[in-house]
Amino acid sequence: MTIHLSIVLFLPLATGFSGALMPRGTGRWAVLAGTLAVLAYVVVILVDFEPGGGLQYVTNDDWIPELGIHYALGVNGLSLFMIALTAIGWVACTFVAAFSELERPRLFFFHLALAETAVLGAFMAQDLALFIVFFDLMLVPFYFLIGGWGSGDRVRATTKFVIYTLSGSLLMMAAAIALGVLATPDGGNISFLLSDLRERSVPLGSQEWIVLLFALAFFVKAPLFPLHGWVPDTYRATSIPVLALLSGVLSKVGVYAFLQIVLPIMPDGSQHWQELFIVLAVFSILYGSVLAFSQDNIRLVLAYSSIAQLGFIVLGIFALEEKGAQGALFQMLNHGLVTVALFLIVGVIAARAAGSESLAELGGMAFRAPVLAALFLITALATLAMPGSGNFIGEILILFGTFENQLVYGLVAAVGVVLAAVYMIRVYQGTMHGPVGPAVESRDIDRMHLSALAPLVALVIALGLYPNFVVHRTEQATTGAIAGARVAGAAQKAGAQETAAATGASAPRIVVAEESR
Amino acid sequence: MIDLLAAVKAPVIDYKELSPLFALAGGSVIVLMVGLVRSFFVRSVVVPALTAVALLTAIGLTIWIWEPGNQPPILEGALGVDALSLGISMLFYVAGLVTIVLSLRSTATGEAGHGEYYSMLLGSIAGMVVLAEAESLMTLFIGFELLSIPLYVLCASNLHRRTSLEAGLKYLVVGSVGSATLLYGLALIYGATGALRLDGIAAALASDAVNTADPLLLTGIALAATGLAFKASVAPFHQWTPDVYQGAPTPITTFMAVATKAAAFAVLIRLFDFALGLSQLDWGPALAVLAATTIVIGNVGAIAQRSLKRMLAWSSVAQAGYLLAGVVVGTQLGVKATAFYLAVYLVMNVAAFAVVIARERVTEFGDDLRSFENLGQAAPLLAWPMTIAMLSLAGFPATGGFIGKFYLIDASVAGDYTWLGIAIVIGSVLSLAYYLRVIAVMWMGRYEVELPSVPPRRVRPVAGWSPEADARAQPEVLAVALLAAAATIFFGIWPDPLFDVARDVASSLPSLH
Amino acid sequence: MSATTFGWLVLAFPLAGTVINSLGWRVLPGRLPGWIASSAIFLAFLSSIGALIKLQDHPAEERHLVDSLWTYASTADFHVDLAILIDPLSVFMCLVVSGVSFLIHVYSVAYMTSDRGYSRYFAYLNYFVFSMLLLVLAANFVILIIGWAFVGAASYLLISFWYRRTTAVEAGIKAFVINVIGDVGLVIGAFLILDKTGSLDFLQVFSQVDQTFTRNDGTLVAACLLLLVGAFAKSAQLPLHTWLPDAMEGPTPVSALIHAATMVTAGVYLIARMFPLFEQAPAAADVGAIIGCATLLFAGTVALVVTDLKRVIAYSTISQIGYMVMGVSAAAYSAGLFHLMTHAFFKALLFMGAGSVIGAMAGIQDMDRMGGFRRAMPFTFVTFTIGALALAGFPFTSGWFSKDEIIGSLLNRGGLYAVLGVLGYVGAFMTAVYAFRMVFRVFQGEQAPEARELEGGHMAHGDPVNPMTGEPEDTDVGFPGPEHHIAERDWPMKAAMGPLALLAIVGGYIAIPGVDNVLEKFLEPTFADSRFADTHPSTGAEWIGLVIGGVISITGIGLAWWVYIREPGTAARLRERFPRAHNFLSHKWYFDELYDAVFVRPATTIGAFCRRVVEADFVQGTIVGGATGIVRVGTSFARSIQTGYLRAYALLLLLGVAGLTLYFLLNSS
Repeated sequence: MTIHLSIVLFLPLATGFSGALMPRGTGRWAVLAGTLAVLAYVVVILVDFEPGGGLQYVTNDDWIPELGIHYALGVNGLSLFMIALTAIGWVACTFVAAFSELERPRLFFFHLALAETAVLGAFMAQDLALFIVFFDLMLVPFYFLIGGWGSGDRVRATTKFVIYTLSGSLLMMAAAIALGVLATPDGGNISFLLSDLRERSVPLGSQEWIVLLFALAFFVKAPLFPLHGWVPDTYRATSIPVLALLSGVLSKVGVYAFLQIVLPIMPDGSQHWQELFIVLAVFSILYGSVLAFSQDNIRLVLAYSSIAQLGFIVLGIFALEEKGAQGALFQMLNHGLVTVALFLIVGVIAARAAGSESLAELGGMAFRAPVLAALFLITALATLAMPGSGNFIGEILILFGTFENQLVYGLVAAVGVVLAAVYMIRVYQGTMHGPVGPAVESRDIDRMHLSALAPLVALVIALGLYPNFVVHRTEQATTGAIAGARVAGAAQKAGAQETAAATGASAPRIVVAEESR
Repeated sequence: MIDLLAAVKAPVIDYKELSPLFALAGGSVIVLMVGLVRSFFVRSVVVPALTAVALLTAIGLTIWIWEPGNQPPILEGALGVDALSLGISMLFYVAGLVTIVLSLRSTATGEAGHGEYYSMLLGSIAGMVVLAEAESLMTLFIGFELLSIPLYVLCASNLHRRTSLEAGLKYLVVGSVGSATLLYGLALIYGATGALRLDGIAAALASDAVNTADPLLLTGIALAATGLAFKASVAPFHQWTPDVYQGAPTPITTFMAVATKAAAFAVLIRLFDFALGLSQLDWGPALAVLAATTIVIGNVGAIAQRSLKRMLAWSSVAQAGYLLAGVVVGTQLGVKATAFYLAVYLVMNVAAFAVVIARERVTEFGDDLRSFENLGQAAPLLAWPMTIAMLSLAGFPATGGFIGKFYLIDASVAGDYTWLGIAIVIGSVLSLAYYLRVIAVMWMGRYEVELPSVPPRRVRPVAGWSPEADARAQPEVLAVALLAAAATIFFGIWPDPLFDVARDVASSLPSLH
Repeated sequence: MSATTFGWLVLAFPLAGTVINSLGWRVLPGRLPGWIASSAIFLAFLSSIGALIKLQDHPAEERHLVDSLWTYASTADFHVDLAILIDPLSVFMCLVVSGVSFLIHVYSVAYMTSDRGYSRYFAYLNYFVFSMLLLVLAANFVILIIGWAFVGAASYLLISFWYRRTTAVEAGIKAFVINVIGDVGLVIGAFLILDKTGSLDFLQVFSQVDQTFTRNDGTLVAACLLLLVGAFAKSAQLPLHTWLPDAMEGPTPVSALIHAATMVTAGVYLIARMFPLFEQAPAAADVGAIIGCATLLFAGTVALVVTDLKRVIAYSTISQIGYMVMGVSAAAYSAGLFHLMTHAFFKALLFMGAGSVIGAMAGIQDMDRMGGFRRAMPFTFVTFTIGALALAGFPFTSGWFSKDEIIGSLLNRGGLYAVLGVLGYVGAFMTAVYAFRMVFRVFQGEQAPEARELEGGHMAHGDPVNPMTGEPEDTDVGFPGPEHHIAERDWPMKAAMGPLALLAIVGGYIAIPGVDNVLEKFLEPTFADSRFADTHPSTGAEWIGLVIGGVISITGIGLAWWVYIREPGTAARLRERFPRAHNFLSHKWYFDELYDAVFVRPATTIGAFCRRVVEADFVQGTIVGGATGIVRVGTSFARSIQTGYLRAYALLLLLGVAGLTLYFLLNSS
């Protein structure tokens, strides 16, 4: 029972409030200080975290006993690095925003701070209802941030974004309540505490549709084909610092919840949909990649590329195999970092091309902006999972995990790796190389952006040098997360195997090999 | 003579339990009298003050006689003074107080005569209390009428506005049809069960004397349901709502939106969950279908509105659908959820209407969306309550609306009406379309937001409009808005107090599981 | 210091060079970056020698030293250390790589002087050497793949080093993507091996191969083929060769280092390193040998007709690597690696010569415009000719020994391999012809104007244009900068070409049949447990082979002399006679066109289709539009019944009551 997480959780909100009350110029610094403090706190937790120690820094109070909702927070291997990612992302983006001209700055930074609290809460929550509270709450600030400080057709975009996401997550709420009710034993009290739900069981039939509704919410958020309808408009309209967070951090909440909530609580249900979800994931990988290299606007290239990347993550999770899940979690962190960096870079580039983000009008920047080019190059290579980057370890684990049980899908997904190389290099060359573009007014990156980006890039490199730092701390949690579903899958496969042995089908050979080891 | 009188079997009158009613009735009379005084000061200050005093007294008395658990009916089973009625009465009183404050600058009070206006308000509240406490079909109907008739007048109290008169008339006609239907239904139920007292009806249904599938009974239930559905503006009996809400003076609209609905649901709970609880299997599905229809129609209808009052009217229809879900399941949980949501519904609607009042008094666009453009910069203190109200109505977390919806869905799932829970969810998704539009108009600039294609009506601002005047000219309205918004947030973060009340309320219907 | 410590040093120095040059790009003056880079590589070379000496101290059977810095990633059965493997093979590769690289660095110091990206160039170059050394030192698959991809990235960076040339940019992405395809092949292959042997460490895997897999086990063959995909992508073997000729967009020293001497031979190293797997999966090995043979013939034919000087050398590189691949696939490991070494010497030398000629031609690479440089650039002429002789396998040059050792051991194994060996002689003949086609067309014949000017002592100053497209070169980024004073004038270039010329001749003397066999003895510990460790052609047989080889190369050279010196018009006449054949060859067998039609265009079409149809009509149109559409309909309906007339309300009311009552009545009965 500790207070630490609560402090971390509500620090941003507190600074946000105080910032809103401060005089116009100074509010932003309060919020920035808040994010820095959070980061510092998280670093301490990161150092102090005991690998394989299960859930740590637990806080557990009744919040609404009537509804069985607890104020339960905790950090385990799954949430640890997601929290770190949130803290880092917010520092970087708040920093950039704090130095840029904004109208109604106090309001902006209040929403930014509120958003951090919401996201942190979603990652820390150890109670399903509490998770939903934060999951939906984070929409409010982002609704304002996109609609109030975006560009172009921003109101339409932000409305679309919120309606899309909320229609998913409200259905999830219904499903979650159903889960809580159905899991309640006769005479027992309803409880949404994850630990309770893990022990209580829900009949397979209900598990199936509940999992489906959860998946709906998370796939919209991720996003996965065909639920990404909100993506193009939103990405076009959102301002860069917000977009970096939206694409880098928010997109992880859903997929994270698969590991933290869905798989442990409803293993059979998840296993039931494995095939469908894997197909969706693989299709998203291909579809996202193909669209990514047929876009002209950098933002949209990155938008679709992250559809593909999230496809990989979902693929890894639903391979229902240790390596896959491990890789997926690691990839969430990697993708988050590089995406934040990439979008900040996009902002820098656009600032050097009269705001243009069209590859047709860009090019040849590298000569006058070597540092920018170098940062971009490293990030781009990491994004396409260049061996030697953390993303590579993430992706290779995902692929290995998939090969184990789903060789064919794994092979198809591997095509996505090649396509990733195509579109990332295309973007890099389209902006930095080639003849100087018509819109380009090239100069090197300014100190402010450099000091925001350099640490991120350094972090990316560090993850490439010593990925085991993360892998070691998350291994136990991921293995535990998928254990149940894995058993269910193995049992089912065993059945399939007998029949196959009878018919002499060749499909489950891999499984035989796996179990022989 | 004396012994003759002694021979008369007068019912035992429990004055303590009745005290709140006395406060209201007495207040109503006094206010009417004082209203006759010519002095403008007395009319526009003392009269409202006295009304407020009456309501505050009622509140105090209610707290004094508060007693959870099952209470035996008083007055030979005419009235049931228990946590259910008292709890919900509290909502009437609060709504009344709010209405007084909002009416202070309204032209309606003057046009209708202050005394009349306020005493009718008190009368209507008294009717609601009776309705909520009704333990027998007779008192039920009396309360119903006592509630309605003053409201008809109040709707039309803005004598110089055609829309107001039209609203009054419409409400009168439709309302009377509703009352007639209700009366018919009650009569049939009586015929079928041979009991006037609700506990008698329940007992009759419990015994084998009455066949629950008796067409007479069922028709009765159907008609009674219809009659009450009118008051609760449940589809397809909702159509008067938008017109009346828009036409009536906004303070009265506020009062109707929150108080009338509460009263209707109080009696719905008593009649269906308590008296007819045993035949829940018969009426449950029907009401469930009504609820779902209401949710859909209400939200869909609201999307097309530019007039805030109309939009809120439609949204109140939708909310009625949500609330009905709590009644349908006929469980303790359902009653609790309904009671809880009624309270939350009150605060968030009050916040919204207060802002509407503040705006329509100062802009030439009246309650049209355009009068909220860029309110975020112009008057953040007004914009925030509206924003919070909208978010809460849409069911975003950290607001009472979220907890309320969560509770209702919980109840419907637990009551084997999962699909109704899904309906609530779908309704909330639809509702985003218009709630978010209001927020966008206030915070995200005018040109970006696409408004419905209806041309904006140019109306003469309701209260003596001057371009310079702004929200700060009406501190009391602002205060109401801020308080209500604060309450909305408070209940979203710390709902336990409300839960305790809701628990007491449900405890007065022990027959439910 | 132990051998492994030296191993780490081998990696450390180039890495340090990279860091220094990339951080000091603004402050380092003049040629300093060049010298820093060169000395870094020289130190790496010294460390390799140190590792060699230390390694020889160990008894033969203990010359496999593994050392790990830290656990790189470890979860479930996936365990990878950041580890290097020091054994004769890796040390040999380190020596070749760092040695040749050092000379090429020195050459570049002068060659790149006038380029604005001087220190960027050397940062890249050091990074490349580091990656290549990491590749050859890797002790497990993951580290190998990392080095593998790093060299790919380095080669990409250097190919599009002059990144404002559209051609350079296109060549870059082409090379990169094909390399990634190779990487994916490696990854999947690595998985199959991990899946079966449960390990990714080379030594552990090798020790288990024979127990785990039956001969030609399906999975193993698949794994080996996938490894071959990686090898072929890197070593530009059919059908993944198309990137290498375009890679000539890079600065000439880069072509010399990466695209001739070192990186492209990585595939050969991989096959040699994986020999236990391939010997257990002979089917895969045969595939390798056949493709190698096919490649060497194909590339030879193309090299006969291409007129771009650097591309001729590029195709000859492809062809020579074909020999090596054929050799190592046929279990002639030391022979293949021997050729790898000698080829590194003479091919680097040829590129340097070409570089100084191109410099003299102010960037023009077309042989049709060259000629008569013999007197203008005597030093280049001599060294280039030596290189050509070695390439052609002229007796007593390094190429003679190495190439014929491969063919010899092929013939010795007989069967399929004998056929391949014979074809190898055919290739050798073509090699001799095109090698001297270059010599004669560039240095003999009537003088090009540039040659005449150069003799006059000053250089041709054409405006810098892109030799491929002729579009004007922007001198911000792009060689030869605003002014250029290269060709062989600058001493570092000579300092680099001299030693290479020497090595191109004497490099072969470390393995003279019957006299000595230094190389094979040295590599022996690595290939000790090879099935074919002691199947050697007899000395006599080898000498016979050498004689045949010598004769063939001399005839080839003679033919070239006859065509280009004796009867100058012959080539043109041949072109007249067989226009189709000429077209076919000069279009490089239409591979690029084929890939464009099969992969590039369809991909872009699909992309456009998804963007216009799926995205617009399905995702936005159906899913989003459909939902909003339904709501719109509902809204307008709600509006239409909300007429405001009481009669309408009354009607609906009646319907409502009727419906409700009806329901109850029906329900009751």
